[in-house]
Amino acid sequence: MNHQKAGPVTTSVKALLTLMYGVPILWIVLTSFKSSQDVFNTQSSIIFRPVITAYVDALDGALADALLQSVLIATGTTAFVLLIAIPAAYGLARTKRWVTTLGLGLLIVLQMMPQTATVIPLFQIFGDWSLLDRTVGVIIADTALLTPFATLLLRPFFRAVPRELEEAGAIDGASTLRTFWSVVLPVARNGAFTVGTLVFLLAWGEFLYAVNFFLSPGSYPLSALLAQQVSAFGIDWPGLMALAVLTSIPILLVFTATYRLLRDGLTVGAVK
Amino acid sequence: MSSQLAPTTASSATTPAGRARRRGRRLTTRQVRLLFLAPAALFLVLFSLFPLLQLLRMSVSDVTAATLNREWVFTGLENFRQSFVGGEGADALTRTGIFVLVVTLLGMVLGLAAAIALRTKGRWSAALLALMVFVWALPPVVNGSVWKFLLGDRGLFNTIVLGLGLREDPMPFLYDQYWALMSVAFVNSFAVIPFNALVFRAGLMNIPPETFEAAALDGATKWQEVRHVMLPAVRPTTLVLLVLTIVYGFRSFDFIYVMTYGGPGTATNTLPFLGYLQAFARYDFGLGAATSVVTVLGVLVLAAVYARSIRREEAES
Repeated sequence: MNHQKAGPVTTSVKALLTLMYGVPILWIVLTSFKSSQDVFNTQSSIIFRPVITAYVDALDGALADALLQSVLIATGTTAFVLLIAIPAAYGLARTKRWVTTLGLGLLIVLQMMPQTATVIPLFQIFGDWSLLDRTVGVIIADTALLTPFATLLLRPFFRAVPRELEEAGAIDGASTLRTFWSVVLPVARNGAFTVGTLVFLLAWGEFLYAVNFFLSPGSYPLSALLAQQVSAFGIDWPGLMALAVLTSIPILLVFTATYRLLRDGLTVGAVK
Repeated sequence: MSSQLAPTTASSATTPAGRARRRGRRLTTRQVRLLFLAPAALFLVLFSLFPLLQLLRMSVSDVTAATLNREWVFTGLENFRQSFVGGEGADALTRTGIFVLVVTLLGMVLGLAAAIALRTKGRWSAALLALMVFVWALPPVVNGSVWKFLLGDRGLFNTIVLGLGLREDPMPFLYDQYWALMSVAFVNSFAVIPFNALVFRAGLMNIPPETFEAAALDGATKWQEVRHVMLPAVRPTTLVLLVLTIVYGFRSFDFIYVMTYGGPGTATNTLPFLGYLQAFARYDFGLGAATSVVTVLGVLVLAAVYARSIRREEAES
């Protein structure tokens, strides 16, 4: 097994990638502990007196509100997406008719739809239906955005469930719904976890709907707050990086818990 | 774990008896299974398809912020003409092409290079892969903010450039007409490389170790190993991944929003972002809708290519 030994080319590619992905992360964290003066002082790029001013300033009532909004939107969207995408993926995995072909084609198109195109009509429709400036409106929009992706990624997991299992359940006299709930779903639970995690991550980072559907920054989730502050003039970099770190901590927690699932499950949708 | 996660095609080995049993209750089972599709179908019709219909209606009407929720005046193809005939839409289309090209090229080449480098065992590879997937999982606003900072006048890159005395003034990474588009395209590829690396890596992991041993016995060089063993192994997934990367670059807006907001001037107005600006910065919803309809048409073409390429891959495997 000596083919695994790294040559000089491999080592330099790895070194390059380590710099490329390590430096930004290191830089966010370093900057968030700097004082405003130190940020633009070239002498203190690496060596500086760490201060937590940025965090103290960032941690106020508004941040708590934004965090709550992020949690509400991300968990609400994840629950809602799984609720409708799981049965749909199972249905599409088990029927083989024009409905399936049509459904899959439609889902592929919707999955690829640019968000900048859907935000325009949704803004008008939500205005009509009194869904603007409400958290549930953003949850609905995020659900519509992520359901096609979730369904397409879930489908191969359900296709992998052996039909014999279901037939055994059916012989026992269980209804289709019951077989699905107690036989199929437990076998495909890894898929549901993987997809649930991805939907959570994507909903946590979504900001375009939030920025446009909430009419005042007071109701923004963290991602929208960050997007608003970074495109403003005269950016307070330590404050912004502190906000970026705080926005990323939940992602780090989710990531640590689900890394193996993500690493192995992510590729399923692209390959199948 | 990985075998559980990589679903194989559903087994079609049913006994004649099993087939007969199913025929008896086929109708009801099928109807129930269609019912499984109902909630998602209903939801998507209401919140995805209906909005697209509205977008189409808007694109052929005169809609401003004032008339958004009132009666719209039908203006035919006026919005399209305004946006694309000698207008900014045509420029945006060219820019989108360059942007997609850069993102796709960097994303595919570096994704494959990363996959090959990370195939080696050891702590470094494992940690680097985890780091890359983590960065991929971070919200685009976070990555965009950091890169805006790194590429700024007094960011890390300019500190190095100025410190080494390579230039008198800082490099205008984000506010030069040409650099800005390249910078944003680079950050977009930075964000897509980890995913592409994972997909390529999955293909490389499927190569049996004996193949490498045989190649080593034949005295193959590293390059020959890549060319004759690894590339054929990832070939089936490459087409699908290529289309996905093109789509990713085409519909991307988050890094543009965070890093340049379409500027300087119109330098980073790609087609999707131009549509957004026309609607939400200039409040000309009709014009924005027309530009977005063209974006949607582009997506329809890509979706058709994608659907064909997955079908071909499924037929091959």
